[in-house]
Amino acid sequence: MSRFFTTGSDSESESSLSGEELVTKPVGGNYGKQPLLLSEDEEDTKRVVRSAKDKRFEELTNLIRTIRNAMKIRDVTKCLEEFELLGKAYGKAKSIVDKEGVPRFYIRILADLEDYLNELWEDKEGKKKMNKNNAKALSTLRQKIRKYNRDFESHITSYKQNPEQSADEDAEKNEEDSEGSSDEDEDEDGVSAATFLKKKSEAPSGESRKFLKKMDDEDEDSEDSEDDEDWDTGSTSSDSDSEEEEGKQTALASRFLKKAPTTDEDKKAAEKKREDKAKKKHDRKSKRLDEEEEEDNEGGEWERVRGGVPLVKEKPKMFAKGTEITHAVVIKKLNEILQARGKKGTDRAAQIELLQLLVQIAAENNLGEGVIVKIKFNIIASLYDYNPNLATYMKMWGKCLDCINELMDILFANPNIFVGENILEESENLHNADQPLRVRGCILTLVERMDEEFTKIMQNTDPHSQEYVEHLKDEAQVCAIIERVQRYLEEKGTTEEVCRIYLLRILHTYYKFDYKAHQRQLTPPEGSSKSEQDQAENEGEDSAVLMERLCKYIYAKDRTDRIRTCAILCHIYHHALHSRWYQARDLMLMSHLQDNIQHADPPVQILYNRTMVQLGICAFRQGLTKDAHNALLDIQSSGRAKELLGQGLLLRSLQERNQEQEKVERRRQVPFHLHINLELLECVYLVSAMLLEIPYMAAHESDARRRMISKQFHHQLRVGERQPLLGPPESMREHVVAASKAMKMGDWKTCHSFIINEKMNGKVWDLFPEADKVRTMLVRKIQEESLRTYLFTYSSVYDSISMETLSDMFELDLPTVHSIISKMIINEELMASLDQPTQTVVMHRTEPTAQQNLALQLAEKLGSLVENNERVFDHKQGTYGGYFRDQKDGYRKNEGYMRRGGYRQQQSQTAY
Amino acid sequence: MASRKEGTGSTATSSSSTAGAAGKGKGKGGSGDSAVKQVQIDGLVVLKIIKHYQEEGQGTEVVQGVLLGLVVEDRLEITNCFPFPQHTEDDADFDEVQYQMEMMRSLRHVNIDHLHVGWYQSTYYGSFVTRALLDSQFSYQHAIEESVVLIYDPIKTAQGSLSLKAYRLTPKLMEVCKEKDFSPEALKKANITFEYMFEEVPIVIKNSHLINVLMWELEKKSAVADKHELLSLASSNHLGKNLQLLMDRVDEMSQDIVKYNTYMRNTSKQQQQKHQQENMQRQSRGEPPLPEEDLSKLFKPPQPPARMDSLLIAGQINTYCQNIKEFTAQNLGKLFMAQALQEYNN
Repeated sequence: MSRFFTTGSDSESESSLSGEELVTKPVGGNYGKQPLLLSEDEEDTKRVVRSAKDKRFEELTNLIRTIRNAMKIRDVTKCLEEFELLGKAYGKAKSIVDKEGVPRFYIRILADLEDYLNELWEDKEGKKKMNKNNAKALSTLRQKIRKYNRDFESHITSYKQNPEQSADEDAEKNEEDSEGSSDEDEDEDGVSAATFLKKKSEAPSGESRKFLKKMDDEDEDSEDSEDDEDWDTGSTSSDSDSEEEEGKQTALASRFLKKAPTTDEDKKAAEKKREDKAKKKHDRKSKRLDEEEEEDNEGGEWERVRGGVPLVKEKPKMFAKGTEITHAVVIKKLNEILQARGKKGTDRAAQIELLQLLVQIAAENNLGEGVIVKIKFNIIASLYDYNPNLATYMKMWGKCLDCINELMDILFANPNIFVGENILEESENLHNADQPLRVRGCILTLVERMDEEFTKIMQNTDPHSQEYVEHLKDEAQVCAIIERVQRYLEEKGTTEEVCRIYLLRILHTYYKFDYKAHQRQLTPPEGSSKSEQDQAENEGEDSAVLMERLCKYIYAKDRTDRIRTCAILCHIYHHALHSRWYQARDLMLMSHLQDNIQHADPPVQILYNRTMVQLGICAFRQGLTKDAHNALLDIQSSGRAKELLGQGLLLRSLQERNQEQEKVERRRQVPFHLHINLELLECVYLVSAMLLEIPYMAAHESDARRRMISKQFHHQLRVGERQPLLGPPESMREHVVAASKAMKMGDWKTCHSFIINEKMNGKVWDLFPEADKVRTMLVRKIQEESLRTYLFTYSSVYDSISMETLSDMFELDLPTVHSIISKMIINEELMASLDQPTQTVVMHRTEPTAQQNLALQLAEKLGSLVENNERVFDHKQGTYGGYFRDQKDGYRKNEGYMRRGGYRQQQSQTAY
Repeated sequence: MASRKEGTGSTATSSSSTAGAAGKGKGKGGSGDSAVKQVQIDGLVVLKIIKHYQEEGQGTEVVQGVLLGLVVEDRLEITNCFPFPQHTEDDADFDEVQYQMEMMRSLRHVNIDHLHVGWYQSTYYGSFVTRALLDSQFSYQHAIEESVVLIYDPIKTAQGSLSLKAYRLTPKLMEVCKEKDFSPEALKKANITFEYMFEEVPIVIKNSHLINVLMWELEKKSAVADKHELLSLASSNHLGKNLQLLMDRVDEMSQDIVKYNTYMRNTSKQQQQKHQQENMQRQSRGEPPLPEEDLSKLFKPPQPPARMDSLLIAGQINTYCQNIKEFTAQNLGKLFMAQALQEYNN
C-alpha cells in the first residue's frame, strides 16, 4: 500500500476528515476504477434499493472506522468528536435498531473504546506527554462513554464474554479496516475467507481479485467520497453484512441460491430507475406537453410490463421452487410491495405498476375475485398516494376512475364478496370459495377520496380554460360512480355508510338547476302530444324528489351532526334554487341553524353562507324584497362576500396570513362551477335595499333619529354623490344609484329604465332562470315603491289628490293604488283619509313641516341644556348653603319642569 | 386656520412697525374704547370682497384677505384690500408672510395706501364667532390698535341686502387674551360675558361723487323686477339652515356644561375627601386641622376646563339668534305685505 504515493486525486479533499495519513489513494485504483464503472451497471443500480437499514449501518460503520483510526494514533480529540457523531447517527438509526437489535459492531466499538480509554487513563506517563487538548478530551470522553455505556451494559458484558462471536459479525468491516491492522481478529481468518468468497461471487465479471481488493481499499480510503462505485461496494458489503445479522449466515450455498431473486429484484430496480429517469425528463418539459408525455409514458410502461411479465412470472417459481402460484404467494408479494409504501425513496409509479402486474398475474392464474379485489383496493390507495402534495391534484385521475369502476364491476358481479374496513387482515377470506369472501377495504372511503381529488382538480384548473370544461365532463363519471356505490351500499352498507354516500350524492346534486323538471312544470302534461323522445328525456327522477328522499333518510338515520347539517343546507339550497321559497325558509327556520352555525367548521360555514345567499336570491325572485335584504345583509355588509362564499381570497388580507393559512384557505375554495355570481348577488342586494330604503328615507326625511336600513346602499349613494361629474351610468352599482335618485323623486319610469335595460339585462337579470318573470316583478315593485315615495315626499304640498291621477302616474290599476294608500294610512305612515265617492286622498296636514320639526328638536335640546345648566347651579348652592339645599332643589326642579312643559306646549301649538 | 392667522398677525406686527418707522405718524394709541368710532369703506373694497367670494368661495369654505387703509382721527378709512390665496393641501409650504410683504410692497409702488388696518372674512350663515377668528383678531389688534375684521355674509347679500359688518375685540377681552388665562376664575374676575366680547363698529360706505352720480343714473334705469329677491317669500331653507346650526351649537354648549359640571363635582369631591382624611389623621395625632390653602397645596385640584370656548359658543348662539330674529321679523313683514296685497287684489 503506497499511501504516500499520489495526492492528486479528487476525492482526497473530502476524505481528509478521516485523518491525513490514511487518505491517499493507490494509483492503481484509478485504473481499476474505470472498467468497474463501465461494467458494473448492475451494481450501479443497487444503490437505489439499499434499505434504510443498510444506509444507517453503513453510516455507523464509517464512523466506527474513523474512531478506530483515531484510537490508533492516540488522537483523543478526534475520538471525542467522532464519538459524538456516532451517538447522533445511532439515534437516527434507532428505529432500525429497535427492529433488528443492537448491532454487534456497535457494541464492540463501545467496549473497545471504553477499554482503550481506561488504558490511557491508567497510563500516567502517556498522559503527561499528551497535549492539553487531548487530555481534556480524554477526561470528557471517558465520562461520556461511561454514561453512555450504561444503557448497553448487558450487551457489552455479553460481548466481553464472547468477543469472537461478535467479532465474527464484523469480519467484513475488519477486512476493510486494512490488512495491516494490529488485530485481535487474527483467529477469524476462516470467516473472512468466506466473506472473500462471497465477494467474488458477487462480482463475477471476471475482475481479478486484486482489482477487487484495490477497489475495496479505495472504498475504505475515500469513505466519505460521494463517488458512485464507492457507495456501491459499501452497500454490497453491508448488504451481506446485514444478511448475516439476520441470522442467515448458516450456509454459503443457500446464499448463492438466494442470489437469483436478488438479481431479479435488481432488474426490477433497474427498471424503476429507468422510469425514474424518464419521469424526471418529463417533469422538465412544458406543462402542456406533459399530459401527452404522460400518456406516452404510460403506454411505454405498459409495453415494458408486457416484457416484464414472464420475468415476474418466473419469480414466484423461484420462490416456491417450481410450485404454481398460490394465494399465499401472491399475498406475500403484495405485502412486500405494500411495505415499501410510504417510505422515502419509493417510486410510487413503479409501485402502482407492480400492483397492476400482480392483478394480471392473479387474473391469469384464476386466483379468484377476492385477491383481485384486494389488490385493486391497494392500487387505488397507491394511486391516491401517488401525489404527496396535498394541495396539488393527482395526475392519474383517469386511471383512478377506471380502477374504481372495475372494482365496482367485480363487486356487483360477485355479491358474495364482503368488503369492509372493519374486517381484520387476519380474518380476511380471499380464496375459500365455500364461505363468503371477505376483503378488508372501504369502498366508501375510496369514493370520498375520489370526490376530494375531483374537487382539487377543479380548484387547480383555470376556470376559463377549455381544460376546465374537459375536467368538468368527468363530473358525470364521478356522479355515476357515486350512484353505483350508493346502490351497492344500499344493499350491503350500514346506515352510517349509506348516510355518507347519500351526502356525497347530495353534494353533487344540490347546486344543479333541474331544467327538465322546470320544463315539465312549465308545460303541464299534455299527454299524447309529447313525442317519444321527450318522454325519454323526462324520465329519471326529479332532482327535487331525489333530494327529498336522500335528505329525509339522513335526517332520520344520521347520528353525526355534520352530515345532517350539510344535508339540511343542501336541501335548503336546492329548494331555494328552484324557487320553493317557503319550503326553504321553513326548513331554515326549523333547523335553527342560524343560532349555532358559528360553531361549525369553515367548510360548513361556507356552505351555510352559500345557502343564505341562495335563499336571499330566491326571496328576491319571489318579490319578497325585505326577506331578500335580510338574508343577504350579513354577507354583503361585511364587504367580504367573495371570501365568505369561498370563491376567492381577498388581496387585502394577504399580508395578514402566513403561507400555511393561505394554503388551508385555498383548499377551502369552492370550485368554479359551484360559484354564485357575485355581481348578481350584489345587484340583488342593492336593488332590494333601494326598494326598502328610498321610501323609508322619504318618510323619515326630517327625523333626527333616522336609522339606516342598509349601510352598504348608503355607501354607494354617497360614492355616487361624490362624483364631480355624473355621466351616464356604466357599472351595475352606478345604475342602481341612478335609479335610486330617480325613485327619490317618485319618477318610476326613469328608475325603471335604469334598473332594466340592455346593460343590466346582460349583467344581471338574464342570469335568472325565469328572467322575464323577475323583470315583471321588478317593474311592479318599482312602481309601488315609487308611489309610496312620491306620497311621502310630496304629501305636504297636496291638500288632496285623486287616486285616478296616481294610478295614471304610476301605471298601476286603481285597486292596487287604493290598497297601497290604505296600507300607508293604517300604518300611520301617511296622515290622510280616503274619500270614497270622489276617489281622492285627503291630506290631514298634521305632519310638522321641516322647520317645525327643527324647532321641536331645538326645543328638546334647549331643555337638556337648561337642565345641565341647573345642575351646575345646584352644585354651587350645595357648596354654599347646605341648609336650604333640598328645598331649593325641589323648587328649582319643579319650576324647570313646568317651564319646559310650557315650551313644549307652545311648540306643539304652533306646530298644528 | 389658527396658525395661519397667527402668521398673518406676526406679519402685521412687523409691517406696522415698518410703517410706523416710515413716519406715517398714526400711532396715537388712544386709551381703549375711543380707538375707532367709525369705519369708512371704499366702494372698491366692498366690490373686491364680493368678487373674491364669488370667484373662490363656495359652501362652507371661507375666503380671507387683508385690508389696507389709514386712520383719520377716530375714523378708520379702508381704501383697498387684497385677497389671500385659497389654502390647498399641496402648497403647504406656501409662505404667507412673504406673500403679504410682497403684495404690500407692490401696492406701495403703485401709490396705494399700504397701512395694514385689518382683515376680512366671508362667513357661512353668520358662523364666524370662532376661536380662530378670536386669535387672529387679537394678534391684529395687539399689533395695530385700530385694526378691524370685516365679516361679509354672501348668503344674506344674495338675498338682496348687502351684509357687511366690522368687529373689534372689546378692551376687556383684549386684557383677558393678553393674560392667556381662560380659567373660570380669571373670566369671572374680568367680568366678561359673551355680550361684551366683540363690539360692532358702524360702517359707512363712501364712494366718489362721480360714482354716486352713476349710481343715481343706474337706479333710474333699473326695473323693479331686479330687486325682487328682496321680496322673496321662500324663506324656509334659510331658516332651516340657521336652526340646524343653532342646534349644533346648543349641543356643543350642552357638552361644555356637562364637562364643567363634572369638573366641579370632581373638585368638590376631592376637596371633601382629602380634607376629611387629612384632618382625621391630624386629629388622631392631636394636631389642629389644616387651613384651606395648605390643603390645596397638598392636593393638586383637577385641571379646570378652559371657559373661553363656551364663551365663544355662547357668542355664536347669540349671533344666530340675532340672525333668526332679524330674518323672521323681516319675513313676517313680507308675509303681511303679501297678505295685504292679496286682499287688495281680491
